[in-house]
Amino acid sequence: MKVVGSSVQRSDGEAKVRGDAVFGADLAVPGMLHARLLRAPVAAGIIRHIDTAAAKASAGVRDVVTGADVLNERAGVAVFDNPLFATDYIAYEGEPIAAVVADTAEQAEAAIRKVELTIDAETPVATPGQALMSDARMVHPSWAEFGTVGGIDFNRDGNIVSQILLDPGDVDGAFKRADRVIEGVYQTPRQYQAYLEPKMALATFEAGRYTIQVSHQYPFRLRDRLAQVLDVPKSAVRIVGHHIGGGFGAKLDLALEPYAAVLARRARRPVMMLNNPEEERLTAPCRENATVKVRSAVLNDGTILAQDVDVVFDSGAYANNHPATASIPIFMFGSIYRVGTARIRNRMVYTNTAPTGAFRGVSGPYLVFAAERHMDQIANELGRDRREYRLAMLAEDGHKMLNGQALEELSILHKAFDLVEERAPWAEQGKGKLRGVGIAAAVWLTNPQPGQATVKLNEDGTLTVVTAATDSGSGAVTTGLRQIAAECLGISADAVTITMPDTDVAGFDAGSQGSRTTHVAGRAVYDATTGVREKVIEKAAAMLETAKEDLVIEDGVVHVAGVPEMSLGLADVAMAATFSQGPIAASGSYTTPPPPHDPSRTKGMLFSTWPTPTYHVHLAEVTVDAVTGKVTVERYIIAQEVGRTINPDAVKGQVLGGLAQGLGYTLWERVDIDAGRYVQRNFESHGLPLACDMPEVEFVLMENPEAAGPYGAKGAAEPSIVPVAAVIANAVSDAIGAPIDDIPITPEAVLDALERS
Amino acid sequence: MTADQPISVTCTVNGETQTLEVGAGETLLQTLRRRLWLTGTKEGCLEGECGACTVLIDGAPVASCIQSAAAVDGRDIRTIEGLSDGERLSPLQQAFLDHAAVQCGFCIPGMLMTLTALLEQQASPSREEVETALAGNTCRCTGYQQMVDAAMTAAGRERA
Ligand code: FES
Ligand code: FES
Repeated sequence: MKVVGSSVQRSDGEAKVRGDAVFGADLAVPGMLHARLLRAPVAAGIIRHIDTAAAKASAGVRDVVTGADVLNERAGVAVFDNPLFATDYIAYEGEPIAAVVADTAEQAEAAIRKVELTIDAETPVATPGQALMSDARMVHPSWAEFGTVGGIDFNRDGNIVSQILLDPGDVDGAFKRADRVIEGVYQTPRQYQAYLEPKMALATFEAGRYTIQVSHQYPFRLRDRLAQVLDVPKSAVRIVGHHIGGGFGAKLDLALEPYAAVLARRARRPVMMLNNPEEERLTAPCRENATVKVRSAVLNDGTILAQDVDVVFDSGAYANNHPATASIPIFMFGSIYRVGTARIRNRMVYTNTAPTGAFRGVSGPYLVFAAERHMDQIANELGRDRREYRLAMLAEDGHKMLNGQALEELSILHKAFDLVEERAPWAEQGKGKLRGVGIAAAVWLTNPQPGQATVKLNEDGTLTVVTAATDSGSGAVTTGLRQIAAECLGISADAVTITMPDTDVAGFDAGSQGSRTTHVAGRAVYDATTGVREKVIEKAAAMLETAKEDLVIEDGVVHVAGVPEMSLGLADVAMAATFSQGPIAASGSYTTPPPPHDPSRTKGMLFSTWPTPTYHVHLAEVTVDAVTGKVTVERYIIAQEVGRTINPDAVKGQVLGGLAQGLGYTLWERVDIDAGRYVQRNFESHGLPLACDMPEVEFVLMENPEAAGPYGAKGAAEPSIVPVAAVIANAVSDAIGAPIDDIPITPEAVLDALERS
Repeated sequence: MTADQPISVTCTVNGETQTLEVGAGETLLQTLRRRLWLTGTKEGCLEGECGACTVLIDGAPVASCIQSAAAVDGRDIRTIEGLSDGERLSPLQQAFLDHAAVQCGFCIPGMLMTLTALLEQQASPSREEVETALAGNTCRCTGYQQMVDAAMTAAGRERA
């Protein structure tokens, strides 16, 4: 392999280090107007009156719209609960109420302040606990009338947006037979994605069609969602993607686009919208805050007869994509460790807070936190060594997850434990006062959703890959897909150009989420390039008057194997083909087929399988300062399985970046909510990790090529964040001799726990 | 209403003398992006905290989002667009590419300006000194290690 497995540089790298790369937020077009949103100043309230007269008369203002001026149907990805504008009541602080478009952003901002709002503030339903109380106010009084995708009912019930229950029926009996019942409650806060580029949208309306220029992770979903809220055919919307200044899940759904679209249509001028940093912080779809209760029925020999898991998480004011991912807990318990049987209940709950959403790893980081804190707890209560107990409980190849799907390669996880042990022998770690070690394991997935690619052979012998796959930084498009095409045809990665996403040009692609690009879009690119390769060989065979089987393509040259002089440059083949039978191009499409499972166990779940699993073991050694309570991560080891590495440096960058976000989530970052309102309202207060916060990291890459993936690649970018909170909390608990079951692990929390122990 | 009496400012930007009429409340970031179309300098937090808008004023890194444009009269300003020598990337820019230190890229102009200032003042910093110099620059993507590696390479202190 020449190109796959080497650290090819990203195609947008030079533009990015020169400052030439144009991000969405940098866009400008002639005649563009600027729009701003008036957002709700309170977390909950009844809107009595909205008076826009003064705003309309304000300098430079072209138009002011509220819910009364536009189609304002409730819409959504899963539950149709979210209108464009709040009209009768406010569901969260930051909810859009009106939009102003003016000649300049400053004029629009000034006019927004002139909209007169009369609101009767209400006491917000601030927490899931409050929302679930029997006398709780309904966040959405008309919840029962909301439509849902495909008419699925999601077991909605008042403030419960959706719930799943997997109950195999023999759980309570197992608890009766147990020697002991071990119980833990694990609490985690929200986490803000904190991408640096604010959300934006630049809309134009022309000849009956909307064009949205945007930095977005999933242009085709954006197209479909705009069609939904604007009530136009999908083909009436075109999404053109630009460089994305980070997303991490926050740029997967609608944000400013529908407002920009509506205003552009009304004004007959391009309309630019850009969130200011505070709006961004107040409305980003943070990872949800959650409480996970785990009970285990345990025998004295360590056998876990059953687990009973109860998850409650905070959806915020709207459902977002949560009902689709509600089933993830059924894959995070009983999958890698043998637990007999398990009952899993997951309820997502409306509150008067900003809607939560997707952040790298979705619910994985807190579910693994709960599962792996709980493993430590069981081991400690039984007096077993924490690593030895895990190995004793670790399942073998073919073990069935709770959905009935077999994990065929669990031996990779055993190997990962061994590789970590080689580098950091468990018995030697975490020794000494206020020093501790933690270990945790996880199985993660590769998002299976579809992708399409068209590959064209250009008349100079280079390739162009046409795809709507997006690169929000990972390099999966700008290195990975180019490398796959280059390897497949037999050219250098420099000879492969890849398009920016454009839904008018490229086929459907499910965007940058769940590490799917290299695996799924990569397979589509591989298949398309294989088609191009076949046509090249066929044409060259005719030109060289030789058999197709005798030809190879190397370094951009087609030649007879073993006879380098009998050769043709790809440019010659391309030119000859173009002007004889027509230009050479081919397409590929792929989506991961669902693995076999037991559908009777996943009734009502949109997401019923765990495709293309990857395996992970993390270990951390920490020290704790007894005076300040500060936790220092002294050593961090990651053993991660990726199928096949397409680009080693890019994979490393993803692993390190995910770890940094995981450490931030566990130790430093804050998203506190007080009476429905976010407490942290400036950049600094979020406590994002800095360069000096990062530990030395040892990274052990495990390769295990997967048959369906391009050159065996699985997903690699998302999962390094998943086990971090568990590992660090296990290590800190070990260091201080007291359990830490909540994050963030602040110095105050450490000092409190020290005092208790 | 702000009294928008324009203020005349003469400064050098990337080696060229510029005379600009700026507003009283205008930030240097706004001037660079809107008047000179130097959009390589990024708009992040607008609070002087994230570092995405870092430029060099007389060689020192400054958050241009909280720097008054009117106050740069007579000063020497360098932005990301002025970092390379024409076609040739600076050693630091090249090292960022070689170490795969660039992901989404939004923090990168600010990172490069801060590190350029560091390397101009201190030819051979330690890793700790590089990390300390980056205390005002946040990157959400990379976890920093490859950036620090790149800075060490640019400083001629390859990792052993
Ligand atoms: S934009 Fe200036 S420091 Fe963040
Ligand atoms: S590369 Fe994305 S923020 Fe640094």
